[in-house]
Amino acid sequence: MVPIPYYLLLAAALFCMGMFGVMVRRNALVVFMCVELMLNAANLTFLAFARMHGDVIGHVSAFFVIAVAASEAAIGLAIVIAVFRSRGSVLVEDLRTMKH
Amino acid sequence: MTSLSEFLQVAPVAPDVLAPSLWLIIALPLLGAFICGVFGKTLGRANVHLIACSAVGGAFVLSVLAFWATSSMDLESRRLLSFFVNPFGQDRDYVRYAIAHDYGTWFSAGDFRVNFGLMVDHLSGILLLVITGVGFLIHLYSTSYMEHDPAYARFFAYLNLFVAAMLVLVMADNLVLLFVGWEGVGMASYLLIGFWYDDPAKAWAGRKAFVTNRIGDFAFLIATFLMVLTVGAFTRQADERDYTSVGTSSQRYASALEDKGPVTFLGLQKMAEALPDGGPGKVNLSTPIDSGPLEGYTFGGVMTAALLLFLLGAAGKSAQLPLYVWLPDAMAGPTPVSALIHAATMVTAGVYLFSRMSALLVLSPTAMATVAIIGALTSLLAALIAFAQDDIKKVLAYSTVSQLGIMFMGVGMGIFWAAVLHLVTHAFFKACLFLGAGSVMHGNGDETDIKKLGGLRHEMKWTWGTFFVATLAITGIVPLSGFFSKDAIFHGVHHNHLEGLHWVSGAVYYLGLLIAACTAFYMTRLYLLTFEGPRSKEARVAHAHESAWQMTLPLVVLAFLSVVSSVYAWPLLKASSDGRPQPVFENFLSPVFAAMNRVVATGKTVELDTSVPAMGDYVFAWLVAVSGGALAGFLYLKFFPARAGQPVPAFARAVRRAAQNKFYVDELYELVIIRPVKFTAFILFRVVDALLIDTVAVRGTAWVTARVGSALRYVQSGDAQAYAAVMALALLGGVAYALIQVLQ
Repeated sequence: MVPIPYYLLLAAALFCMGMFGVMVRRNALVVFMCVELMLNAANLTFLAFARMHGDVIGHVSAFFVIAVAASEAAIGLAIVIAVFRSRGSVLVEDLRTMKH
Repeated sequence: MTSLSEFLQVAPVAPDVLAPSLWLIIALPLLGAFICGVFGKTLGRANVHLIACSAVGGAFVLSVLAFWATSSMDLESRRLLSFFVNPFGQDRDYVRYAIAHDYGTWFSAGDFRVNFGLMVDHLSGILLLVITGVGFLIHLYSTSYMEHDPAYARFFAYLNLFVAAMLVLVMADNLVLLFVGWEGVGMASYLLIGFWYDDPAKAWAGRKAFVTNRIGDFAFLIATFLMVLTVGAFTRQADERDYTSVGTSSQRYASALEDKGPVTFLGLQKMAEALPDGGPGKVNLSTPIDSGPLEGYTFGGVMTAALLLFLLGAAGKSAQLPLYVWLPDAMAGPTPVSALIHAATMVTAGVYLFSRMSALLVLSPTAMATVAIIGALTSLLAALIAFAQDDIKKVLAYSTVSQLGIMFMGVGMGIFWAAVLHLVTHAFFKACLFLGAGSVMHGNGDETDIKKLGGLRHEMKWTWGTFFVATLAITGIVPLSGFFSKDAIFHGVHHNHLEGLHWVSGAVYYLGLLIAACTAFYMTRLYLLTFEGPRSKEARVAHAHESAWQMTLPLVVLAFLSVVSSVYAWPLLKASSDGRPQPVFENFLSPVFAAMNRVVATGKTVELDTSVPAMGDYVFAWLVAVSGGALAGFLYLKFFPARAGQPVPAFARAVRRAAQNKFYVDELYELVIIRPVKFTAFILFRVVDALLIDTVAVRGTAWVTARVGSALRYVQSGDAQAYAAVMALALLGGVAYALIQVLQ
């Protein structure tokens, strides 16, 4: 059996990659994918701890995260499409509406 | 004769019936003020003065009934009907010759309570009669004097308001309610002095009176709170022996305090009676107060401080040094106002206050000496200023200040009854003089300069006659009241002695004689220049006309009163204690001053001599007055007319100029008090208000917020990735912190 720290290190690496993507990529769709990556890193951690403790709380949490991620992806994609329709671009640099 | 005296002994309304209705005496003029003030314009002049005069007239009738009831007897049993149980004393401790009614709690906070209680005894009864009686005459006079004034209704509303406030002042049975009246008359006098407010000088005069009075009122308030603290300390420290020696018990006193509050005059009197008795283990004047804000001070010391503060309060209202400066300026108001406020009622409030608190005043010889000396100095200064004033009303104003000083001398030296008598007789003759001056102005085109009058004797016969009588009365010519009341004060001042301050009595007495001569001098001068000699070439109208009956009738009544009221100073009655002859008024007021006499008897702070003046005293006082008058008569009838056109010696001119400018007292105040205060105010305005508060505090806060906001504006770019970067950095910080914690 692989020891827990390896899972955690893998999860941390995935999370950092996801965060790096969120911060540097310009395409909103890629940013979304990177967010999914970070969520999966979190899921991996939950499952690793669930395994370590031998209970189901971690599994339940992971299911919640998956559900939230699914709905988030659905709404996020809808927003991106709506933005693309009105602005003709999906680059995050061009979308500064949060300023107003 | 017996039937008349029996008739006078039985009051038409029994005291116990009348007592609950005492509030009507105040309510009537107040209602009059309300109606005249609110509906005055629509009512028309005739209705306004009908309402105003009948309100005061009604109050006068009620006052007569109340006054009558205070001496009511049951003819069959020969027993007094007007008494009530002193709530602070034992069951058998009656307050005699007085009626009172308590209308319940006015307000209370903790164990401090003030009741709306009214009391009429012989002292306040006399003042009720003076206020409403003289007040009614002045209302009647005003109906003619103010005939052509557009603000007729406003004037009568103010006059009625003033009368109501003054009645509250004298009928109050506690210090706080008295203060209501005290403030009320202050406000009404401000309104009346500044009645013609479109003339800035007159509005300023009103304001000056108001501000000067407020200084005194502030002292009054502090003194009241000192009294509250003293009563609290007394009830904490006194034991049963203190109470039994003055005929009460601690439960009785405590329950009365709970009922009536600590500032009731009867309670203060009981405390004053208990204080001077220095038996073993008892609380007395030199006992230090053991706890509370006054801890460490003795009862006597606190009492002296409180009384001196009351003196400052009384000085403001009664125009004594150092607060007398408002009164002469207040002559800017309508003349009936001068007569009502500055002669008969408000300015005598200080004398009334000290008479009411006589039992407390005699506890402190220091305070008494201060009162007497302040009175004497004020009186002398005012008399000297009056020498050179040419404005008829200003002379009378300074004369009022001077006469009030004489009353304060009496109060300060413990001859209270004479001070009150002088208050009453002064109200008659000075009101007569003021109204006479108003009549003179009315008939001469509002000319107030006595140098430009003259020769009115033949043109205004009624005014002349009454003015002449009143002048004789104030000067102190024998059969008139002013002589007797003033001489009673001087006699008492001469023969009373303050413990440890024996020199005061002599000094004040000789100052008093000087003042009497001065009074005679300037009043004779005023009279001669106005009424005698040829008519001045600078007169404003060729022929003066006599005033209407509404104006002359009050003059005649007042002149008559100022003659006959002398009877009260005659020693006709025998004292109940030792059977020696006693002046009518002293006998009459003895129930009021009984507590004071008991305090004097136990405390020995004052040596009261109640002898009546002998013929020699009378002759001496009379000679002093006549010599002053004769000097004035000689100078102004023989000497000055002969020198017409010739220059006056330089020395005389310098003295005259100094006196005319009131010895530069106003300028001195300007320099010593007003300028520094104004300068401090300017500094405070510039530095504290404009710089610290406006710039640093108010605008500074806005400036900092705006700067912080504009700095933060650059952070809010709207770029989601920048926000994410911030979040990542924060997360990194959190991780770093957690790592450090874990590694430690």
